[in-house]
Amino acid sequence: MKSKREKPFIAGVTTIAVLSSLLLLGMVFFMFRESLPIWSDIGVFQFLTGTTWRPVAAEPIMGIAAMLVSTLWVALGALVIAAPIGFGCAIFMAEFAPRSLAAVIRPVLNMLTGIPSVVYGFLGAAVLVKYFEATFDLASGESLFAASLVLAIMILPFIIANSEAALRAVAPQIRYAGLSLGVSRQYYTVHILVPMARKGMIGALVLGLGRAMGETMAVLMLAGNTLLLPISWFSKGEPLSALIALEIGSATPGTAHYQALFAAGLVLVVLVITVNLMMNTILAGLKR
Amino acid sequence: MKKRIVSDYILTGFFWASGLFVLLVLAAILMYIIWRGGPSISMEFIFGSPAGYPLGSEGGIWPAIIGTLRLVLLALIFAAIPGLITAIYLSEYGGYSSLARSINLLIQSMMGLPSIVIGLFVYALCVVELRWGISLLAGGVALSIMIFPVIVIFSRDALRAVSNEYRLAGRSMGVADTYTLRRLILPRAAPGILAGILLALGYAAGATAPIMVTAAAIIAGSSGVLLEPVMALPYHLYILFNEHMSLDNAYGTALVLVAMLVFVNALALWLQHIQERTNTR
Repeated sequence: MKSKREKPFIAGVTTIAVLSSLLLLGMVFFMFRESLPIWSDIGVFQFLTGTTWRPVAAEPIMGIAAMLVSTLWVALGALVIAAPIGFGCAIFMAEFAPRSLAAVIRPVLNMLTGIPSVVYGFLGAAVLVKYFEATFDLASGESLFAASLVLAIMILPFIIANSEAALRAVAPQIRYAGLSLGVSRQYYTVHILVPMARKGMIGALVLGLGRAMGETMAVLMLAGNTLLLPISWFSKGEPLSALIALEIGSATPGTAHYQALFAAGLVLVVLVITVNLMMNTILAGLKR
Repeated sequence: MKKRIVSDYILTGFFWASGLFVLLVLAAILMYIIWRGGPSISMEFIFGSPAGYPLGSEGGIWPAIIGTLRLVLLALIFAAIPGLITAIYLSEYGGYSSLARSINLLIQSMMGLPSIVIGLFVYALCVVELRWGISLLAGGVALSIMIFPVIVIFSRDALRAVSNEYRLAGRSMGVADTYTLRRLILPRAAPGILAGILLALGYAAGATAPIMVTAAAIIAGSSGVLLEPVMALPYHLYILFNEHMSLDNAYGTALVLVAMLVFVNALALWLQHIQERTNTR
């Protein structure tokens, strides 16, 4: 029953819900305001495509192309590594795994998401990078590849959970119809099940991409942190997130350097939110 | 026909391999951390203060444990109530209105916000403009922004999982909707909400990027003053490794951190299990 006392309660709940979700817009606006001088003085195109980052020189030059490329390279690289294993595992859990084994893998995936990124970064740097150094006789084993490899493991649980959900959403009638035609389970999986769940699985990948682009600690510890434009997967680089983490503490508020870091942050936010909206569109198309 | 059978075997092998790979990765990570970090663990390591030169190369991590607990608690104080209220709005009152859909979309986008960007925002707003300096309070604010969408989404789903029969029963008995919410729906959603809060806690406890620019110090006392920097476990781990202070202590710190988080996550999973059982009858 909606009594008179309910109305203020509902109004209060609605107000708080609106205000707290406006926080995101507030943050984006704030970052835009802080970085405004960069967009008007340097220009969007120049800032995004400039390959020199010398923020504290007498005449500062600031372009984030090298970091932007590093971010994309690391994230897409992680996706390339994680996609086959992630899809394989999702299909395994939805179709092939004995129920008891799937019941073990599911909590394991939860545990993997619970391990913080600094621990992944630390293990990657202490074990993987050391292994690269010893095996390939390198002076330092950090590279975009090392960062991608560790990121791949970090985004794997998200890809698996969402792809599995997409596979399970395929109607059981289709399964019976497919299998009753006498094709093998594998044939049914590859030619019927996966194509039907395609959109959801792509959505899962896109979600993983968003996560990988925003990740900070693991790439900070693994990508090598050089400001040069990366020329291969095995170059060092410094993704946007690492740039912000490393430089914000030492940038004097009000200087172009400080503003440029906010501009970099804004670029990162726009990238990640675009990717998330893309996923929403894909999933919305799925429901229709 | 033969070719088909061979390719079927290869596919099955691949699916099994990727499934087992995931198990193997977690087992390898946990076993390696326990193997390398186990020897560092002692009463003195957990309850002692950093010592040696440079400070932290010997001694314990107690101030970092306390610092992390304080940061997480503060984040929870800031985020839990607004998070829960937003969830109640989305599940009970918003329905399919365009306002509710917009809020949903904003919360979803907030969930994907890179944690370093939250750190950047809080750094500019709290540390610089409000002159709080690098402080426990600023770190709490940053972490609360990070966990807010997590709390909303888990609480919303827990509330939605409660059968509509309870809402209808409340209506047909003529009691107020708020009464139904308080006495019938919230208790049944409680395990799920609690699970979400625990997951958010674990998420906050492991986060490094937002606190490294707003709250964390390499060495700080455990005074608990809101406007002073704090030590935190994940940042301590980063510093121990990155500044080449002590690899053994870094593994020990990683073990303590991971053990805490695995415990919290297991608890959350158990609560989720309870939630599912109470709401599928």
